[in-house]
Amino acid sequence: MTPEDKVWQNLVSAARSVRDDRTTAAPYGFATRIVAQAFAAESRPAPMLLDRFCWRALSVAGLLAVAGVAANYTVGLRSEEEMPLDETAVTAVFDIS
Amino acid sequence: MPDEPPFDLAGCLERVRRNDQQAARELVEHLYPLVIRIVRARLPRRVPEEDLAQEVFLKMFSRLHQYQGSVPFTHWVSRIAVTTCIDHLRAQQRRPEFRWADLSENEANLLDAVMTNERAVAPDDALEASELVHKLLNQLKPDDRLVIQMLDLEQRSIAEISEHTGWNTTLVKVRAFRARRKLQKMFRELQRKERT
Repeated sequence: MTPEDKVWQNLVSAARSVRDDRTTAAPYGFATRIVAQAFAAESRPAPMLLDRFCWRALSVAGLLAVAGVAANYTVGLRSEEEMPLDETAVTAVFDIS
Repeated sequence: MPDEPPFDLAGCLERVRRNDQQAARELVEHLYPLVIRIVRARLPRRVPEEDLAQEVFLKMFSRLHQYQGSVPFTHWVSRIAVTTCIDHLRAQQRRPEFRWADLSENEANLLDAVMTNERAVAPDDALEASELVHKLLNQLKPDDRLVIQMLDLEQRSIAEISEHTGWNTTLVKVRAFRARRKLQKMFRELQRKERT
């Protein structure tokens, strides 16, 4: 046993001697409140579950949108660089130069 | 005065499964002492014990259909209580370093005396020792803290810890070893640093 272990064992053996005299009985009304909540949650309608998944779907959609913009941003920059200086998008599409 | 008849847990569970609210209330009242002891022993800072006990019972009811009877029901509820406490402890920011300044004057004096003299703690100092032990435990990872607390403070066996947490015995031993090493390191650091 290292000296540090000895210090720890001294402290925990003293800590073990402290008695917890607090009551362990459920407070008045606790069981009624818990049961009411638990049974209410069980009879929760399906749209509530849908609400929960909607937020997840929204965040996934947001992430995909950001990823899409990021991916296309570099492609857009590249095609702009490839376009001759005297051509604009309009002249390129309609070939009016 | 006649003895109270033993609580019929199996019968009560059967009635709860048939949506008997009276049985559900009896189940909560029967299990409350078990749950509150677990919660009090591993209570995270700033979380009222009743809120945590409430969370444990709500999880118990919502997962009741998953209980297959492979372990005693009280062990199954203990695991829910333990994991709920660990989740709350994980959510807390741990201090990167334990310092003398984190201790009260009495706790610092006690630690100083124990570290320099390696003497047993006097009975009068037991309360400070208990506070000190909990402050040191707070520095450990929640899983490691739980193992060392059950081993050293509650004096449970590795097998008992495994039953109550659902972790295998090897994992329990690894966590105990890791926790002890971290505690040793903390004591060495405290000894190295000048007390301010």
